[in-house]
Amino acid sequence: MTLTERPQKRYGSIVVGILVLSVIILVIGWLESAQPGGLNIAALTGGVVTFDTMVRIGILTTAVVGLNLLMGYAGQVSLGQVAFIGLGAYFSAVLTTRPSLIGASGLSGHWWWPWLLMLVGTVFTGGLAYLVGRPILRLRGHYLAMATLGLGVMVNILFRENLGFAVDKVNITGGSDGIYGIPRLSIGSWDIWPIERYYYLVWLVAIVGILLALNMVKSRSGRALRALHCSELASETLGVDTARYKVRALVLSAMYASIAGSLYAHFRVAVSPKPFDFGASLELVVMAAVGGMASVWGAPFGVAAVVILRDLLRTHLSLVIDAVGGAYEVVAFGIILILIMIFMPEGVVARTKEVVRRWSG
Amino acid sequence: MRDFLLRSLKHKSYKFLAVGGSTVAVVALILILGAQKNFGPQQYGQLIVAGLGDGAIYALIALGFVMIYTVTGIINFAQGAFVMLGSMIAVTLYASKIGGTGATGLIVAALLAIVATTAIGVIVERLTIFPARNADSLTLIIITVGVYITLQGLALIFWGSNARILPAFTTVATSDLIFRPGGIVLKAQSLWIWGTTAVVLALLMVFLRRTLLGKALRACSVNRYAARLMGISPSRMSIFAFGLAAAMGAVAGIVLAPASRPIYDMGLKLGLKGFVAAAMGGLVSSPVAVLGGLLLGLTENIAAGVTKSGLKDIFAFIVLIAVLLRQRRQMGRGLE
Amino acid sequence: MAVVVVMMFVAAACSAGTTATTATTAAPATTAAPATTAAPATTATTAVTATTAAPPAEGVAYKIGFVASATGPGSSLGMPETNTAHMLAQQWADGITGPDGVHHALDVIILDSESNPDVGAAAVSRLITEKDVDVLVAGTLSGNALAMAPLAEEAEVPMISMGSARSIIETDGVTRPWIFKTPQENGHSARWQATYLKSQGITSVCYLYENSGFGQDTLNNAKKFFPEAGIKIVFSDTFERSDTEFPQMQGVQSSGCQAVVVGAIPPGASMVTVALRDFVPDLPVIQGHGVCNATFISLAPKATEGVVLPCGRLMVADGLPDNDPQKPVLMKYIADYTAFTGGDPVSTFGGHAWDALQWAYMGLSSLNEGPDLKDRRAGIREYIETNIKDWPGTGGVFNVTADDHLGLKYTGLTFVRVEGGKFVNFPPKDW
Repeated sequence: MTLTERPQKRYGSIVVGILVLSVIILVIGWLESAQPGGLNIAALTGGVVTFDTMVRIGILTTAVVGLNLLMGYAGQVSLGQVAFIGLGAYFSAVLTTRPSLIGASGLSGHWWWPWLLMLVGTVFTGGLAYLVGRPILRLRGHYLAMATLGLGVMVNILFRENLGFAVDKVNITGGSDGIYGIPRLSIGSWDIWPIERYYYLVWLVAIVGILLALNMVKSRSGRALRALHCSELASETLGVDTARYKVRALVLSAMYASIAGSLYAHFRVAVSPKPFDFGASLELVVMAAVGGMASVWGAPFGVAAVVILRDLLRTHLSLVIDAVGGAYEVVAFGIILILIMIFMPEGVVARTKEVVRRWSG
Repeated sequence: MRDFLLRSLKHKSYKFLAVGGSTVAVVALILILGAQKNFGPQQYGQLIVAGLGDGAIYALIALGFVMIYTVTGIINFAQGAFVMLGSMIAVTLYASKIGGTGATGLIVAALLAIVATTAIGVIVERLTIFPARNADSLTLIIITVGVYITLQGLALIFWGSNARILPAFTTVATSDLIFRPGGIVLKAQSLWIWGTTAVVLALLMVFLRRTLLGKALRACSVNRYAARLMGISPSRMSIFAFGLAAAMGAVAGIVLAPASRPIYDMGLKLGLKGFVAAAMGGLVSSPVAVLGGLLLGLTENIAAGVTKSGLKDIFAFIVLIAVLLRQRRQMGRGLE
Repeated sequence: MAVVVVMMFVAAACSAGTTATTATTAAPATTAAPATTAAPATTATTAVTATTAAPPAEGVAYKIGFVASATGPGSSLGMPETNTAHMLAQQWADGITGPDGVHHALDVIILDSESNPDVGAAAVSRLITEKDVDVLVAGTLSGNALAMAPLAEEAEVPMISMGSARSIIETDGVTRPWIFKTPQENGHSARWQATYLKSQGITSVCYLYENSGFGQDTLNNAKKFFPEAGIKIVFSDTFERSDTEFPQMQGVQSSGCQAVVVGAIPPGASMVTVALRDFVPDLPVIQGHGVCNATFISLAPKATEGVVLPCGRLMVADGLPDNDPQKPVLMKYIADYTAFTGGDPVSTFGGHAWDALQWAYMGLSSLNEGPDLKDRRAGIREYIETNIKDWPGTGGVFNVTADDHLGLKYTGLTFVRVEGGKFVNFPPKDW
C-alpha cells in the first residue's frame, strides 16, 4: 500500500525554491536600505509595491499557506479562515494593551511578553479550531463551507460586540473602533521597527511556514490528506482515519492564521473588526485559488498577485480615469478575478508552469 | 430506573424528547428574558410580525440560490447583487417617470426592472459561467464572487453611494398605510412582501411541476448527464436558471425597496441571509428554503428583541449550524 | 538548511537596523532629491496657468495627502469630504507662494479608504513613506482615523482628522502632539441634547445608536453628560444601517421613556426615525450631529419633520445674523460647493474637510523655502498649534492650543429643528 510506504523524499526542488524566494526577499530588502542610485522597490515598480505592500504580502502568505493545506490538500473549503487570523490578532492586541484582564499587568513591560502571547495565542487558536473542528468537519463539501462561513461571521460579531459585554463596563475588544496602541515587537531593547526590520521578520516567518508545510505535504500525513481530497470514502477503506487528518489540517491552518494575525496586530498597531469580516475571508479564498490550491508555492504568488493588483488599481487607475473613490478599481478587480478563474482555474503558478513547459518544447 | 433511561435513550422517543425539550427550553428562555423588559403579548406579536417581514425577504432571495444550485451546482454569491439591481433600477426608472407618475409609473418601473435584471442574469451566465462550465465548483463559486464585486462596483459608478427611496406600493407615497390590530403596527408593505413571497413560491412550484421547461429544469437538477441523454441541454437550463434567479432576486429587491432605503452595497448582507435560509433546506428545496427564511427572520428579530440587537446575526448563524449538523445526521447514511 | 535561511534573515535584519538609523538621518537628503527632480514635471502643467504674474523663484513641490471614506459604510460622510478636496485642489491649482516670495507647486493626493481601517492605514503609509507628503488630512470614521494616527505619529507627520472621537487626538487625557481634528465633539452634541431635554422637563430617555464606533461614542458621551442634567437612560440598544425591521421598538415601548435620542448617520438614522414615528408617534425624537446633511431628510421626508438636533451652523447659514463671524465663510463654502458639484446640497462633513484642508494650506503657506521635509512637517504642526486663533471655519470659531487640538467650545454647534424639509435655527429662547 502506497500510503504506508516510507515516502521517497525529494528535497532538491524545495531547497532551490526556498533559496530563490529567500534571495528575492533579501535583495528587495537590501535595495530598500542601500538604495543604489536612488532605486528601491517602490521606484522600480513605479510606486506600486512599497514596503507596506511587501509586509502585507508576507503576513497574508503565512495565512494562505495554512489555508492551502486545508483547502488544497485536505479538500476542505473554509469560508471563515479570517476568523482565525482575527483571533490571533485580537489575542495579541487585547493582552498587550490590557494585560490586567488576566492579572498580568506586571508582565506587559517585558519585551518577551508580546512574543509569548503570540505563541500562546497560536496554541489557543489551534485549540479552538480543534474544538469546533470535531463536529464541523463531519460536514462535507458545501455544507462545510456554509458552517465555516457561519463561524467566521460569528467570531467577527463577537469582536464587534466586545464578546457580549457592555463596552463601558468591561472593555475587552473595544467594539467597532477596536484596539489601538499595540506595542511594536522588540528583542531586548532592539526594536523590530522601522518597517525594514519588520519586513525581514514577517518574511522569515512566512518562509519557515512554507518550509514546514512543504515538509508536511511530502510526509505520510500529506499523502493521507491528498488521498482524502480525491475520495474520502476510498481513503477510509484504505485505513486512513479521515476525521483525524481533517481536524489536524484545520488546526494547523488555524495556527498559521493565528501567527499571521499576531504579526498583523503588531504591524498596524491597531485592530478592528472590519479587516476580519466576511469579505476578507472571501479574499483569502481568492488568493489561495489564484495561486493554485494544491500548491504550497502558490501561496506567495497568489497573495502577491491579488495584493499588488489591488494596490495597482487603487493608485494608478485614477490616473487613467478621473474617478472619485474606489469604484472603478473594484470593477476592474472583479473582472480580472473572473478572467483569471475562467482562463487559469488551476491557479497562476500551475498555468505558468504549463506555458513554460509548452514553450520549452 | 437506569434500565428505563437506557431503553428510552435507544428508543425513538428520545429524539422526540430532545427536540421537544430544547424547544420548551428556548421558549422559556425567551419569556424570561422578555419578562425583564416588561414584554407583553403585544410586544411578542410585534416581534413575530417583524420576523416574518424580514423572513419573507430572506425567503425570496433564498429561492434564487436554490434555483441556481439545483440546476448548476453553483452557490451563486452574486444573488445579492440581483436584489440590489432590482431595487436600484426600479427606483431610477420610477424617478425618471418613464411610465408616468403615480401607480402606473410604479408598475412600469417594477416590470422593466425585473426584465432588465433578468437580462443581466442571462448575460452574466453567458459571459462568466458558460466559459468555465467544466471547472470545479469552487472555481465557479469564486467566479460568482467576482461577478458580485463587479456588479456592486458598477452600481457605485452609476448610482453613487447615496441611499435612495421608493414610495410604498399602497399609498404611492413615502409614508405607508399602517394597520394597528391590537396595538401591533402592521405596514401595508409587509402584506405586499408576504403576498409576493407566497405568489412567487406558488408560481415556481406550478412551473416546475406542470410545465415542460420546469420538468426539464428538475431533471437537470436530479442528474445532469441523464438529462443530457434525454435531449435536455444543460447549457440552456443554466441560462434559464440564472434568468429566473435574477428575476426572483429583482422581485425581492423591488418589494423590499419601500421598506428599506436601497443603496449600492445592500446586496452583500441580503445575499448572505438568503444563502443561510437556502442552506437550511440543503440548498435544494424551495419550500424548505422559504421556511428557512421565515425561521431565520423570526430567530433574528425575537432574539434581538429580548437581548441585544448587535447579537442578532449570532443567533441566526447558531440556528444555521444546528440545522446543518442535524441534516448531516440524516444524509450521513447515503453515499459520498 | 532552515538554519541557513534563518541566519540570512537575522543578518539582514540587523544590517537593516544599522542602516536604518543612518537612513533616518540621511532620509531628508535622499527624499528631497527625487522631490526636486520631480518638481519640474509637476510644475510644468501648473505653470501654464500659474505664470501670469512675474515668474517667482520655484521651490520644492508641496504635497497634501487626503484619505476619506468615499465608498463603503461611511460614504455619506466621506463623499462630500472627497468632493470638497477635489474642489479645493482645483482652487489651489496655482500652488502656494511662501512669505519669502518663492513659489511652490501644490499637489493634493486624494485616496479612498473604502471605510476600511486596513485600506486606510495602507493608504496613509503610502502617502507618508512613498509620496513624502508634508501634511495629512485623513480619516472619515473615527475607527479609520484611530488606525491611521499611530502611523502619522511614528513618522512625525501632522495629521488632521475628520473623524470626531476625542480619542483620536488624546490618549488617556494626554494630547497627541501630531494629531489634530476639525469635527465637533460628540460630547458637545451630548451637552446640547442634555440641555434641551432638561428644558423640556424630560428625565428618562431611550437611546438608540448605530452599531459603529461613532454610535458607541455618542452613547458613551450621553452617559457622561445626561446624568449631570438629571436625565436617566432607561433603555439603550443598537441598530444596523441596513435594518428594515426594528425589534428595538418593543424595548422603547415597554421601557416607558419620555423621549428617544438617536446617535447615527444616514441612511440608518432616517430609517430609525421612520420606525420611531410608526411605533411611538408621541415621543419626541432628538438626533445628534451625525445627521447634518440633506440626505437625512430626503430619505424620510415626513418622519423627520419636527426632529431636533445640535448641528453645525453650516446647515442654517442663511438664517444667521450678518455679524456672525462664520457667515461669510459658510456662504462662500456653500456657493463654491454647490457650483463645483453641480447642485449637490452641502453637509457639515464636507465642511470638516474644508476646515482641515485650510489648516494644511495655511500651514504650508507659512513656510519659507529651504527646510527639508522633516522640518517642514514640524513647521506645519507648529503653525497649526500656535496660529489657529479665533479662526472662523465651517465647524465653528477655532482656538487651537497645545492642549486642545480641536479648539472648539460646545457652542461651535447650534441647535436646529427640521421644518418643512429643511433645517432651521432653533435657539434656546424658542424652546
